[in-house]
Amino acid sequence: MIKIEKNKFDEFLEILKKEYNVFAPKKEGAQTSFKEIKFAKDIEFNNINTKIPKEIFFPQAEELFMYKDSKIENIEKKKAIAVWGVRPCSAKSFILIDKIFGRAKQKPGDKNFEDPLWKTKYDDSLVFTIGCNTPASTCFCNWVDCGPFDSTGSDVMVYDDGNGFLLEGISKKGIKFLSDIKDFEESNDKDRQNIEVLKNIAETMLSKPIDKDLLKVKIDKSWNHSIWDEMSAKCINCGACTYNCPTCHCFDIQDEGKSNKGKRIRLWDSCMFPDFTNEASGHNPRDLSKDRFRQRFMHKFKYFPENNGDYLCTGCGKCIQVCPVNVDVRDVLNKIIEF
Amino acid sequence: MDNTYIPVQMKVENILIEDPAKTLRTFDLSFINSEDKERFKYMPGQFCEFSILGRGESPFGIASSPTEQDFLRFTVNRTGLVTNEIHYLQKGDEVGIRGPLGNWYPVEKFKGENVVIVGGGFAFTTLRSLLIYLLEHRKDYGEITVIYGARNPDLFIYKDEIAEWEKRDDLNLHLTIDKEVDGWNKMVGFVPTVVKELAPKAEKTWCVVCGPPIMIKYTLPVLVELKFPNDRIYTSLERKMKCGIGKCGRCNIGSKYVCIDGPVFSLEQLNTISEAF
Repeated sequence: MIKIEKNKFDEFLEILKKEYNVFAPKKEGAQTSFKEIKFAKDIEFNNINTKIPKEIFFPQAEELFMYKDSKIENIEKKKAIAVWGVRPCSAKSFILIDKIFGRAKQKPGDKNFEDPLWKTKYDDSLVFTIGCNTPASTCFCNWVDCGPFDSTGSDVMVYDDGNGFLLEGISKKGIKFLSDIKDFEESNDKDRQNIEVLKNIAETMLSKPIDKDLLKVKIDKSWNHSIWDEMSAKCINCGACTYNCPTCHCFDIQDEGKSNKGKRIRLWDSCMFPDFTNEASGHNPRDLSKDRFRQRFMHKFKYFPENNGDYLCTGCGKCIQVCPVNVDVRDVLNKIIEF
Repeated sequence: MDNTYIPVQMKVENILIEDPAKTLRTFDLSFINSEDKERFKYMPGQFCEFSILGRGESPFGIASSPTEQDFLRFTVNRTGLVTNEIHYLQKGDEVGIRGPLGNWYPVEKFKGENVVIVGGGFAFTTLRSLLIYLLEHRKDYGEITVIYGARNPDLFIYKDEIAEWEKRDDLNLHLTIDKEVDGWNKMVGFVPTVVKELAPKAEKTWCVVCGPPIMIKYTLPVLVELKFPNDRIYTSLERKMKCGIGKCGRCNIGSKYVCIDGPVFSLEQLNTISEAF
């Protein structure tokens, strides 16, 4: 583990910038979101409540390719990305999205279904995750197999002990990066003890997790239950939860331009919108607000676990913060296990 | 970079208008690059994303059979933005396709046994692919029965081929329309009712159903009543799609994605999914 004093962060950033385009939280107006960073002074180090960093690897609008006079131009690979300061819930979300975008679904004939846009960005990336010393009241990472110091999806774990950052290599890539950089102090026993103290304090700030076995049993039986009517009654299907969710990966594909020149782009989409599933014939398999509300929770807590073994939720609580009608995913889960 | 979203270039070789109202057109496409043709191996039941640059993509079942080497066929109903644009295509125009996508009808399992094909309206596309495939390998299969229904006689697709199939003695073809029409001397009645009347025997028989959702919904119980086992009834489903490769998230039915886990499902599979019907 190496130690970086906060006033020496510029030196560290210079090293990182040699090989990577560096993204970190940056404050713009009232909002803190992940932006490409040139100088350490631009980084907002203290805000736990940033916008989610999903867009670094999966932008809200992204070109799939361009075309001119029926000739198609492929997109070009860019410099590798390093992300400083994501939280464990975001680092884990990268792994979850990678299960959809990054892995080739093996079909007969060995068809390659990797998402090229995600893979070229994510595979070469270096993720620095900061442990959360003080989880927010909306955090429930401990409910969904994550935690304030969970290292899933991280190349390097960063601990903020107040004076500086302690960096611990997690992945092979992360360990190698740290072993290659010099001029930084090694951590000592006291530093490590401090980290344990921070971890213990953070744990106490989280609520008691849900009974996951019971959730599985109950959600499987819930399809036709009136709880879905009750819970979805106030939902206005605005989609804020999905746009602010680190794990929501659904997208639309649209063409921009004319027949002789333009681009095919993908855009974040949301299962909250009727058009998401509305067919040209007029038939909509998820016609009701309730259908769409139920889909969101079923996808995260039933379908994705069935297909991939994990919840498609890392407990970041972002959806709780942004929902204009106060739908709280924790209430929804509790309702499911209580009916 | 290997970019799976880039379509393969195709040329429109032939266009056939299927109905007097011109809402259904059949397009035969050829590959512009021979290496793309080499790489494109498909089976009956699979689909493609049909791409018009500047307008977008739509998924269509492949209506040609892999035994037909010279062209790739799609029949398109004019309904939305992309299909409207497709209807304006002229012979010689360049278009794109991504595919083949999805799974297929399990023709290997059907070998040595009987096959009943139940179709409705313009959903007969992949069923044509299947039927041509079975007829091409005729000796590998037992009795082949086709029950095909349309709202009225105009709305059958592949009318010339139907006329040819009617002449064959190794194929039982039953055509039905929803309501009586002057000059129609074949069956009248909705597909589920007709299937019930004809009562194809279930023993050593596989059944494939494809049509509008309402037809599928009411036909499947009839087949169950006729003692077809759930794992011998197959259907092909449709959902709105974008990526076609299990990423964009909209075509799911429960935990299954129609694009990669389907579009072909057995009734046995569908019965485990709450959202299926």
